[in-house]
Amino acid sequence: MRVFAMKRSAVLLLIPGIVVLILSIRSFGAKNTERVYVGEKVCRQCHHQSGGRNQFNPWRLSAHAKGWAALAMPEAGKIAELSGVAVEPFKSPICLGCHTTASDVEDWERDETFRLQDGVQCELCHGPGSEYIDPAVMEDPDAARAAGLRMPDEADCMVCHREKGSHVAVLNVKKFDYGEALKEIGHAGTGGPLEIPETKPAEPSEGPRYVGPVACAACHDQSTPRHEYSKWRYSKHAQAYAILGTEQARDIARQEGLRSDPQQTKQCLSCHVTGYGEPAGRFTETYDMAQGVQCESCHGPGSEYMAEAVMRDPVASHQAGLQKPDAANCRGCHTDGIHGHSFDPDSMWAKIDHSRWEDRTYSSVEYKTPFNLAITSDGSRLFAACEASNSLMVVNPKTRQILKEISINDQPHFVALSPDESKVFVSNRGSDNISVIDTRTYRILSTIQVGDEPHEIAMNPEGTRLYVTNAGSYDVSVVDLQAGKEIKRLAASRGTWGVDRSRDGTKLYVTNNLPRYGKFRETSKSEVTVIDTRTSTVEKRYTVVGANLLQGVAASPSDDFTLFTLIRTKNLVPMTRTIQGWIMTNGIGILWPDGRIDQLLLDRWDDYFADPTDIVFSKDGKYAFVSGGGVQQIAVVDIEKMKALLRNAPEKERREILPNHLGVSNEYVVKRIDVGRSPRGMVVSPDNKYLYVADGLDDAISVVDLTQLAQVAIIDLGGPDTLTTARYGERIFHNAAATFGRQFSCHSCHPDGGIDGITYDIEPDGLGFNPVDNRSLRGINDTAPFKWEGTNPTLKRQCGPRLAAFFTRIDPFNADQAEALDRYIVTITMPPNRYRDIGEDLTPTQRRGKQIFERMYDNSGNLIPKNKRCNYCHRPPYHTDRKTHNVGSASWLDTHGTFDTPHLTNIYMSPPYLHDGRASSLEEIWTLYNPNDTHGMTNDLTKAELNDLIEYLKTL
Amino acid sequence: MIRWMTVIIALLLLSYPAAGQEPAAGKAGQDGEPYIYTDWECFTTESTHGGLINDHIFYIKVDGEKVWFATEGGLSMYQNGQWTSWTEDDGLPWHVVSSIAKDPTTGDLWIGLFGYGLARFSGGYFEHFTQMNSGLLNDVVYGVTVEGDNVWVATTAGISAYNTVTGNWRVYNERNAPMEEVWTYSAMANDGKVYFAVWGGGILEWDVATQSWTDYLDPDGEMEIDLYRDDGLVHVITTSAYYIDHTLWATTYFGLSRYDGRNWRGYMDIDSGLPSNFLNFVVARDGNSNVTCTDKGVAMLMDYASDTWVTYARPSGDAKTWTAYVMAGNDTLRTVPTNLSLPNHFTIATDIQGDDVWIGTGHGVARGIGKEFWSGLKPVESGKEQRGGFSLFNIFKKKE
Repeated sequence: MRVFAMKRSAVLLLIPGIVVLILSIRSFGAKNTERVYVGEKVCRQCHHQSGGRNQFNPWRLSAHAKGWAALAMPEAGKIAELSGVAVEPFKSPICLGCHTTASDVEDWERDETFRLQDGVQCELCHGPGSEYIDPAVMEDPDAARAAGLRMPDEADCMVCHREKGSHVAVLNVKKFDYGEALKEIGHAGTGGPLEIPETKPAEPSEGPRYVGPVACAACHDQSTPRHEYSKWRYSKHAQAYAILGTEQARDIARQEGLRSDPQQTKQCLSCHVTGYGEPAGRFTETYDMAQGVQCESCHGPGSEYMAEAVMRDPVASHQAGLQKPDAANCRGCHTDGIHGHSFDPDSMWAKIDHSRWEDRTYSSVEYKTPFNLAITSDGSRLFAACEASNSLMVVNPKTRQILKEISINDQPHFVALSPDESKVFVSNRGSDNISVIDTRTYRILSTIQVGDEPHEIAMNPEGTRLYVTNAGSYDVSVVDLQAGKEIKRLAASRGTWGVDRSRDGTKLYVTNNLPRYGKFRETSKSEVTVIDTRTSTVEKRYTVVGANLLQGVAASPSDDFTLFTLIRTKNLVPMTRTIQGWIMTNGIGILWPDGRIDQLLLDRWDDYFADPTDIVFSKDGKYAFVSGGGVQQIAVVDIEKMKALLRNAPEKERREILPNHLGVSNEYVVKRIDVGRSPRGMVVSPDNKYLYVADGLDDAISVVDLTQLAQVAIIDLGGPDTLTTARYGERIFHNAAATFGRQFSCHSCHPDGGIDGITYDIEPDGLGFNPVDNRSLRGINDTAPFKWEGTNPTLKRQCGPRLAAFFTRIDPFNADQAEALDRYIVTITMPPNRYRDIGEDLTPTQRRGKQIFERMYDNSGNLIPKNKRCNYCHRPPYHTDRKTHNVGSASWLDTHGTFDTPHLTNIYMSPPYLHDGRASSLEEIWTLYNPNDTHGMTNDLTKAELNDLIEYLKTL
Repeated sequence: MIRWMTVIIALLLLSYPAAGQEPAAGKAGQDGEPYIYTDWECFTTESTHGGLINDHIFYIKVDGEKVWFATEGGLSMYQNGQWTSWTEDDGLPWHVVSSIAKDPTTGDLWIGLFGYGLARFSGGYFEHFTQMNSGLLNDVVYGVTVEGDNVWVATTAGISAYNTVTGNWRVYNERNAPMEEVWTYSAMANDGKVYFAVWGGGILEWDVATQSWTDYLDPDGEMEIDLYRDDGLVHVITTSAYYIDHTLWATTYFGLSRYDGRNWRGYMDIDSGLPSNFLNFVVARDGNSNVTCTDKGVAMLMDYASDTWVTYARPSGDAKTWTAYVMAGNDTLRTVPTNLSLPNHFTIATDIQGDDVWIGTGHGVARGIGKEFWSGLKPVESGKEQRGGFSLFNIFKKKE
């Protein structure tokens, strides 16, 4: 009996545990909030009523309501180009973030009543409304706030309305005045009785019915070249109903003897609203009279012709009621002299006509910008990957004729031939993939997805595997060509860049552009990663001390050493020693089979060799050629002389002095050959007679005679003759002529427009004080102010006289140069976020992180002060309020504590973090450097919650 | 009277092996001979002149011809008679190494550091991940394993999973996994599953295909005894798990469990070759054999069907070498001397290298040379089987 009693009691004891377990299991995947965006039409049910409750009209007449439509205008494309936005504005999270509402949320957070096409609508300012739209909640301010209702202030508005360089440049708008703007859009109501009439759906009548413009927009939106919906939405037709709510409309009505509200008067509505007066059964559920004069006023009720199959058949669509209007149709409402206005149908027609395709190509000038080259073994074809034109060019190097240009997306960077030369592989830095192209037909056979920002490619000797360096994800993709896909990813170091294969085929040498993470203010240590091609695993990681920006790499033909390019940036001392060569020196590294690494400079004491980019050997191994991207030259290194110098140097000299010695390069650099602008990748002809050099900013290939060691010809790749301002700026950016002794260029610190990952001590802030982390230039135009202190309001100021005084140490840029440089920098694009595509759902981890990012209460339930909430300073779409704040991040080396709020777009791309680069990862910002919750309230978070927050930040 | 008879009958029925459990295929001790490791190589810090960097062995990982050792003083590796070690002077971020996993795809070694996070050892370089600089949940790392592109880390505060391709970190604890406790002792991945031993929380299983968790607890709910045998995990204070051939082996501080997906089998020192119930680790060649580390020696289940064990232990405190006990269940059939001479039979780690077996103790490592090894039982010549008459359990009881 005792056994049975125990069993029963055991069961009874188990029940609460089971209940707890079930509840906890249910909570594993549950969302913490169910608030969703409902859309202005729902808000309108209460907020478009007579008396003191009419917020709809002023909103609909405002620019806010046209925000989405504005992105389809040609000006938007130009602005996007100047913002470093690589996609069309209506696809860019940056543009959408200010021009519409809830563009960055997941699908489930938008109710079916919500429409992105309504632009900047109620809930952008007031918060998602699903929990406060209940009148009973709305009446209680505390309850409404608890349900998510926000009352915006100036800071909220200024997130989008603070002056943006790109918008000023294109639209020439006057400076935003918050007070004046508030008068325009203010819509304070006075409350009053609420009437929500019940509407019963009418019995549908036979024949065509009105469907409303939103239904038309399903096809005729920004996905079509004509952008019909946006064009309509931008016009006064779309405001025709709302305009009846203005004082002006009431005046007109009174003049015509009408006493009632124009928005309820037949005489007004019959012209101002499509289909007014028709029986209720002639309207579908999607119709909305508040949309004013809509598509169907001109084209006829659309229920029977809107199906795509019908619409594409002119006869069928006409039979189904589709009408083709012309200017004469307008006369029905636009009678001459109506409301005191004359009407010219032809000029008005031109304004609203959306029947023609509009050229949306924003940049009319397309350069080539060749980056890297490959040549067939018979020397008959030269392939050039051209980043700017998104193409692979095929050239006959002997006749110098262009044989073919193949379109590839996006930003092709490197090109390599298969061993049998039947295929050519191109890495696409902008689309994270490899194009596989047939060399006979030039057809793209396939596209293989690889890591982030692929750069260079190597193959194993058998031709069965590709190795692709990924600068964005810091790894090497191993691609199985038979399977046609990536089979593994090998961790390299930071900013994985170049690769070459040993002559025996067993090893790959990989360079890494950025130094390893290290302690604060520690000497840079970069890495050469060696991969065993037989096992496709990392065999060795060699440390290169005191160097960074390791890019080009080449294994010697004799396989007894490997050369790579490097820069030795002296970032640990103040940037005052330019004249002595103590800012940056440029050279090569030599990796010996025993693992020893030597470093030698290519610089001369009076003429440096900025931005060594690529390195190749002559076929006989006698020379190595290094392209100097910042000096328009090729350095010719005599290998025997180089070896002799090292061999004869005492150990201490070899180890400690030669890497910094500006006086010895003449001993092994036998010549510098002048070539074109920004020389990048090179190949040697199979007969060892010529060196071909991609002159990136000349759209050409230099032909260097290896007997004469001189440029003898130029292969023109057919780029435009026009020099645009941006292109001029790009040339300045990559040219070290702007610095003393041609020591470095802008590119030296900002390769690919990004970062070099190290911290500098710049003189004007005081020697030894205020070290600053180098920041990315990608997509920064509209994130002013600049500099960590936030003291430079424009990029022109940032690159102006102070740059000359404290960086380049020679004459500052003149006005044209500054303008050009500015124009180029603002066009440096921000690549797509690799953690989340636009519109993609968040993972559960990211979703929890978003809730933490937006939270108002800490884990104890206390209200977090506004200035300690993440989204107070880091507001979308750039996730910066563009103000300076003191977040307690100053160290003992800083003389002040207030810093510009950095934007968070693709923040994962730019470690280290904080103004001085002290935090090597996003985690460290809060695990190590926020002990007092001055940089947001985070100390109540568990480690798991902090991890969620970090995973969310990576998606921004 | 009838009432008490009912109770007795009920108890007998409850203690009867659950329906569906396989009976022993043959009679223990008569179906063949298990392999006995009589020849051992022993290594201590002293005997290797520092080659084995420290004698306190926490983990052993066989990697082809290499064998890696996680020790309290650093990382050591043995290959073809040569020892190599890494300490903090060589870039090892922390000298207390708790666990090691090898990524078979990339060749990288992942190293758990007890109190200082995780390291990736690749190409001779250590990359360091801590709870401060990464999404690692906690720096007290007990175990690490690799599953596809993911590195799973068992920490004192829960489980971290790091995707080496995307760079994403995931965290699992009581918020989003069925964890009664979060103190995770070990991690092991194989064949589409990842297993964690959760100290006080049983065994946690992550199914890679369905991306879901299953927990295995002791259905008894009793901490002091295993009330109903073979009803589930023998105890929730687990120390390791090993999954192979669709069979899960789990060590606890109160015995060993085996689960074939349908049936559980529990083993304790009173009914098996285990010299103790305090178990630290287990590895297995297959679903029918294993090597179990206990505080009183190493027990090798050589044949599940016949419940044949060979247990290695020091017979007394002053014994110079260990003895191999051939056992059928808890009955010792015979003893065989070995040359295993480690002074400490508190075994913590083990791994299998082909026919050989490595064991790690509190005082050095030993390698059992599997010359002419066979798995399972080899048929004996008639008349040569031996039976003992004593229980290994009784030996240790007497010693206590």
